[in-house]
Amino acid sequence: MASVQRILDLRSEFDVAVQAARTSADVKAIRDAFIGRKSGRLNAILKDLSSASIEDKQSVGRLANDLKQHIESRLGALEAQLATAAPIAGALDVTLPGRLPRAGRRHPLTQVRERIESIFTSMGYEIITGPELEDDWHNFEALNMPGEHPARDMQDTLYLSAPIPGEDGGPAATLLRTHTSGMQIRHMESHDPPVRIIAPGRVYRRDDFDATHTPMFTQVEGLVVDEGISLGDLKGTLNTFAEQLFDRPVQTRFRPSFFPYTEPSAEMDVACGNCEGAGCALCKLTGWIEVLGCGMVHPAVFEAVNKARGKTVFDPDRHTGFAFGIGIERLALRFWGIDDIRMFYENDLRFLDQGGL
Amino acid sequence: MKLPISWLREFVDVPDDALAVSTRLAGCGFAAESVDGDVIDFEVTANRPDCLSVLGLAREAATAFSLPLRAPSPAGDAGLNTPSSGPTVPVVIDTPACGRYAMVVADVRVAASPAWLADRLIAAGVRPINNIVDVTNYVMLELGQPMHAFDYAKLTGPEIHVRAARAGEQLTTLDGETRKLAAGMPVIADRDRAVALAGVMGGRATEVSNATTRIAIESAWFDPKAVRLMARKVGLNTEASARFERGADIDNPVRAIARALALIGSIDAGRAAGPVVDVYPAPVHAPVIDLRREYLNRLLGLRDAHAIPAADVVRVLTSLGFGVESAGADWRVTVPAFRVDVTREADLVEEVGRHWGFDRIPATFPALRTAPPIRSFGVTEDHRLARLMSGAGLQEAATFTFIEHAMAAPFVADASRLVTIANPLSEKFVVLRPSLIPGLLDALVYNRHRQQEDVRLFESGAVFSAECERRAIGWVLSGSRTDHWSERREGVDFFDAKGIAELVGRAMGRAIDVQPGDDLTFCAPGRRARLVSGGTACGWIGQVAPTVVAARGLKASDAVYAGEIDLREIEKSRKDWRGTTTPPRHPAVVRDLSFVVNQATAAADILRAIQRVPRTQTSPAVTVRIFDHYEGKGIPDHHVSLSFRLMLQAEDRTLTDTEVQDAVDAIVRAITAGFGATLR
Repeated sequence: MASVQRILDLRSEFDVAVQAARTSADVKAIRDAFIGRKSGRLNAILKDLSSASIEDKQSVGRLANDLKQHIESRLGALEAQLATAAPIAGALDVTLPGRLPRAGRRHPLTQVRERIESIFTSMGYEIITGPELEDDWHNFEALNMPGEHPARDMQDTLYLSAPIPGEDGGPAATLLRTHTSGMQIRHMESHDPPVRIIAPGRVYRRDDFDATHTPMFTQVEGLVVDEGISLGDLKGTLNTFAEQLFDRPVQTRFRPSFFPYTEPSAEMDVACGNCEGAGCALCKLTGWIEVLGCGMVHPAVFEAVNKARGKTVFDPDRHTGFAFGIGIERLALRFWGIDDIRMFYENDLRFLDQGGL
Repeated sequence: MKLPISWLREFVDVPDDALAVSTRLAGCGFAAESVDGDVIDFEVTANRPDCLSVLGLAREAATAFSLPLRAPSPAGDAGLNTPSSGPTVPVVIDTPACGRYAMVVADVRVAASPAWLADRLIAAGVRPINNIVDVTNYVMLELGQPMHAFDYAKLTGPEIHVRAARAGEQLTTLDGETRKLAAGMPVIADRDRAVALAGVMGGRATEVSNATTRIAIESAWFDPKAVRLMARKVGLNTEASARFERGADIDNPVRAIARALALIGSIDAGRAAGPVVDVYPAPVHAPVIDLRREYLNRLLGLRDAHAIPAADVVRVLTSLGFGVESAGADWRVTVPAFRVDVTREADLVEEVGRHWGFDRIPATFPALRTAPPIRSFGVTEDHRLARLMSGAGLQEAATFTFIEHAMAAPFVADASRLVTIANPLSEKFVVLRPSLIPGLLDALVYNRHRQQEDVRLFESGAVFSAECERRAIGWVLSGSRTDHWSERREGVDFFDAKGIAELVGRAMGRAIDVQPGDDLTFCAPGRRARLVSGGTACGWIGQVAPTVVAARGLKASDAVYAGEIDLREIEKSRKDWRGTTTPPRHPAVVRDLSFVVNQATAAADILRAIQRVPRTQTSPAVTVRIFDHYEGKGIPDHHVSLSFRLMLQAEDRTLTDTEVQDAVDAIVRAITAGFGATLR
């Protein structure tokens, strides 16, 4: 019976050996080794059988025949397969890198800006833009910051060495706008209530350039004026904005604050996304990140617009409104998970050209 | 405003827990800059000068915690304990910049302050000097009333004149600076000369010293605007000026003198020598404002179920120091003098709202009562162009609007016409960019220095000239067109930059033509052109001049191609890009023609000429493009072979061979005759 076992073992060995065959030379070598007439191992087993009984010879012979057929059919199939897989003219190394289409990306700030714009557009807001060089009236005076108002210190202003002509024949521009709030005035000077606008754009302050400050940044101003607009409406609108921006429920908080052109004024914080409100270095241990200033339009702003228009169009007794100013850089830091605002202005392609942006 | 919690607790029994107190007050509008042990550093907004004092913050804390407020001792003018006779200084107010001026003479022993007093000042961030100066500072911090002590013996007269500075007058202030005073600046003077800058800083000559035995304490009210103007003019920002220029409490001066005298007595530093002189020419009457329940609800968005109970309205306002009288559902509110920020009904709504808690106001949504607006063109257009550019393989950059002079100068004909900032942060941020390219060029260099070889950037934004501010879109290209292993690296060239211009033109429904750009001195000669659309110049393209590139830190041999389009100009000539045409249903016929022409012939001229070949109404329409440009073997010297692919087409029928041949013959005749060309 030892021969039976030897034949079964040989079959296993063949099955392993045939796996490794890649070429027709491999096939020939395997055939010679297992069933070759001279040195084939099957023949060697059969030769050793000469002294065995008839019954043994018969049963071993059957097994040997089966094995021989198995080997022939496997090697035959393999040969046929190798024949068709013979090197094809022009075959490719498909592991070489693909030809990536050269597409650029929108700047991460633009992407956040566009996202903000589309959120407000979907809520019925009109997008307006205006000049970055402003006159004193639109940047300060009409926003309840007359001549020597101490609130002007809040926004360290960059002034032009010499005025340049204003837009559309308006007053000459003398300064770099410190906020987009002047767009509230520009819009109300030419539009009647109800008003529902956002005004995105660059603003400038005499500020240092470090991880959390830039002398130039991007704001989105918002203004809604109608009868019956309330602080509750402001909260509802900005909560919705925050959720749509981050695509998930976001906890917000409104803290009383001060802006000369809103009364009451507030700052909106969102729960820190880094620590989920527990307090970390990013949120200075408070659990909150300040993202925007807002408030109810100050009656003095309506009065300034009315004065410019020469009639009462925005009636402080009838019309109320809310306004807000979103700092895009701050939000973008949180949106993209970045901790240094300078990244946005270095234009390092290793930063800008990332799949995640 | 740095506030040790122990000082606050003298006025209100808040928890002895700085963090808890700062959190509660942040909810009412007083965010803490930092909390360090038991000292809270409050950010006091510019509208709340009353809270640049312990008492002001205590009032807020008392309201926030619904606790009673203890008045400082002695409470008010009644606590004055001054002799009815004795030395006084006569005071004459001779400027509208001073609304009230009180003064008392005291006999003192100048020495160091006791430790508790010095420690408190240090905790609040004020350097102790001597017991007299320290008491004036202590009262300023506690009550918000800036005070100043003069050495009585050094006042000539002794007299006090609050008056405008005279031309040429000088004053050496406490910081040792001798200052030339501009005529009109409000000063405190004795009989002969100015001795202090009103509301800003005292003078050296009358400073209290260790030898001083008698002082005159000033406690006054100065006009915010006047103080602010002067402080800015002389470049001083003091604790006193910070309070006066935001608005001090005109009811405070005598109260503060009473408090100062009590303190001087309690530390055994002296006592009043005579009565208080109080010059207050036009007493201010407390304003009364009506607060309507309806307005309160309307502005905050409180419907009946959420309305703030009347008792809470009264409690908040009373606790903050307002006088409140109910008038039906409404209230008549008297504003205390320290609340200079409250002038309107909306201000009262804020007071009630912030102490009620903005978080308790239900979030609602404003009704949309009008149709959504038509989308404004400029913004959507900018986004469309930016998408187009990024799709074309350019990365959007964001560069600073202000740049250094050396960056800007090469890009303008006359550097004196650059728009500059009067008070720039640094010389790096002094010029408003006349073009987007200088900033993009620096961004390109930044990347090159970080092993990024192939850089293609664009930006859209404002550019500036002395005439106006305009929107533009600009691009810079360098390195190779492809970086795939299968292709030979081939550098970008002029026509890559031109293609971007054509792409923008196409998007605007406008053909972009070029004109010689010899005035583009920042570009390499022979590789520069003005862009023209609809007859108006709207931009340029070119290879940035090697000298300009080298000046920004690249090798002069590094080729940088760039272009810029003035969006306002191109929009003027814009066609509605949404217009489309339906392709004809009948087959077109394609014919190729090659002409040999003189090298100096502009290809675009031949293209235009082909399109202008006169045709009858039934002639086929011809579209044409250049598909080959060849010079060299087989072409005479100084000549070039240009190959054109013509597509001939009729809207309504399949063209016959004769029609096609006639049209092609006409074109060949026109080009050979018009350009001296030969058909190849």
